[in-house]
Amino acid sequence: MEKEKVLEVKNLQKFFKLGRNNTVKAVDDISFDINKGETFGLVGESGCGKSTTGRTIIRLHEATGGQVIFNHENVHGKKSKQDLLKLNRKMQMIFQDPSSSLNPKMTVMDIVAEGIDIHKLAKNEKDRKQRVENLLETVGLNREHATRFPHEFSGGQRQRIGIARALAVEPEFIIADEPISALDVSIQAQVVNLLKRLQRDYGLTFLFIAHDLSMVKYISDRIGVMYFGNMVELAESDELYKNPLHPYTKSLLSAIPLPDPDYERNRRRVAYDPAEHDTNEEPEFREVKPGHWVRCTTKEFEEYKKELKTK
Amino acid sequence: MEKKNEQEYTEQSGQTSKANEDGLSILGRELIRDKVALISLILLIVVVAIVYGTSIIMDKDEIVKVDLFAIHEPPSDEFILGTDYGGRDIFGQLIIGTRNSLSVAFLVTLMTGLIGVIYGLVSGYYGGHVDNAMMRILDFFLILPFIMVVIVFVSIVPKYSVVSFSLIMTAFLWMGIARLIRSKALQERELDYAQASKTLGSSNIKIMFKQVLPNLSSLIIVTMTLNLAANIGLESGLSFLGFGFPESTPSLGTLVSYATNPTTLEDRWWIWVPASVMIFVLMLAVNNVGQALKRATDARQRRG
Ligand SMILES: Nc1ncnc2c1ncn2[C@@H]1O[C@H](COP(=O)(O)OP(=O)(O)OP(=O)(O)O)[C@@H](O)[C@H]1O
Ligand SMILES: [Mg+2]
Repeated sequence: MEKEKVLEVKNLQKFFKLGRNNTVKAVDDISFDINKGETFGLVGESGCGKSTTGRTIIRLHEATGGQVIFNHENVHGKKSKQDLLKLNRKMQMIFQDPSSSLNPKMTVMDIVAEGIDIHKLAKNEKDRKQRVENLLETVGLNREHATRFPHEFSGGQRQRIGIARALAVEPEFIIADEPISALDVSIQAQVVNLLKRLQRDYGLTFLFIAHDLSMVKYISDRIGVMYFGNMVELAESDELYKNPLHPYTKSLLSAIPLPDPDYERNRRRVAYDPAEHDTNEEPEFREVKPGHWVRCTTKEFEEYKKELKTK
Repeated sequence: MEKKNEQEYTEQSGQTSKANEDGLSILGRELIRDKVALISLILLIVVVAIVYGTSIIMDKDEIVKVDLFAIHEPPSDEFILGTDYGGRDIFGQLIIGTRNSLSVAFLVTLMTGLIGVIYGLVSGYYGGHVDNAMMRILDFFLILPFIMVVIVFVSIVPKYSVVSFSLIMTAFLWMGIARLIRSKALQERELDYAQASKTLGSSNIKIMFKQVLPNLSSLIIVTMTLNLAANIGLESGLSFLGFGFPESTPSLGTLVSYATNPTTLEDRWWIWVPASVMIFVLMLAVNNVGQALKRATDARQRRG
């Protein structure tokens, strides 16, 4: 069954020039697709370029190289104002830090209505108010919250306001950049549940960014693992959990605690040492098994294939 | 089921924190808490009301008219604060002078504020090459010799008014606030709320003035208040040196500059002491208010 692709990222690069001879390769040649209606998880340690990937996809950064194709349209190509606005409506973002993602000087009403105003979605003042109140209720807040300011809310509630703001323009695709990592563990699950419910109700497609695998596993259909600006492994969630191939993925998986005493007694954290690869050959992204990609050298490629067979 | 869970959570964590309340109300509260600043503010309002009020009914030409029969009169019933070497009423000059000095200070503060805020906001918000170019232009203004240009201006333009004098001062005084706002805008534009605005499709102008600017409001108010104190002193200083207003346009600086005459300095205190006290009181009062506001923007130094 051929799935419909919403987003295709092709050889995307984003370098930051910091000085004359100082360039940070935040994202270095990564490719992946996201299918309609799925949640694609992007994981990796802090500073590996996850946010940069998300921000480049949504045009907050110019791409240094490569392409982002959204609904068969090149996001970074030359665009008229009209096309840009259309794109802004279809692609939205939820931010990591709930304390800085809402303007402290604006009421919740004006924050959520910003997109409605820009895209002229409301027929009149009453419709605008109605829409905002509906959105607040959709994300689990009350309509009375509309007149308050962001500082009057807890982190989880602020994140809900951010979600309502993104939903206001009726997007198809949402980039969620570590939407729960600043939240209390008890609240994380609630926000994840909210996102899952929204996905089901509105047929949304998600790019879900996180730095550890524990939550991503629960929410994602497919997962991409990033390491220092590169994509090192990509597979369906179950496959990645059952058959992790790249040593970095194994190390990430070994870090997740499970509520299973037997497992925990034997759980051993595996550290990843990039030096274990053969440095004579530049690794490439290869498909070890249909849908399961690993960044590896030819020799590793053969080993991985064997490893999968023996399982 | 899920939905119910979420709802429950919302109810219980619906508590609000007052820790981070609106900046302007904090400024107001700090002013009321700080008695010295409050008294300063009231004093300022009274002085401004009196000065602008009485100067409307005063006849300016009458005051600056030379009267050779009343030279250097000490304070009396006719002349409350005596007269100067041209027989001109000092009290009248003090009122009009204070008004002129204050007008210059207000005008310069407002104009430097307006230019500086817009310039700094644009420079900091766009960043990169735009910022680079705009900061080089600003540097150029910084290295211009301020006093020299003012001297040239004073000698070319024979009759200048409060407005033209304010304009020339503004040309050299907008850079400080521009730099301050620029550095703040550089930080502010990286914050997620500005980025979110961009992803929603807002134009840069909209983000700058509707999103970022309101977040700089307390900083702007504090800086402009402190600038006002400095500008009162600056005008007086220039006039004292003879590069400010001519005698036909009295100001606090022109009154004090009579004290350059040794006899006036020693024997005719009524000419220069009132103006000096006025400068001192005004600057101190405005500065008190400014410092209180500044403290209010720094949570660690707040009094209540
Ligand atoms: N605007 C920028 N200018 C210069 N360097 C940047 C910029 N943004 C990111 N970087 C650099 O790019 C690299 C990747 O950063 P990025 O924010 O994408 O990491 P991340 O994976 O999202 O990390 P985290 O989990 O901490 O959010 C880092 O080394 C960072 O220092
Ligand atoms: Mg990040």
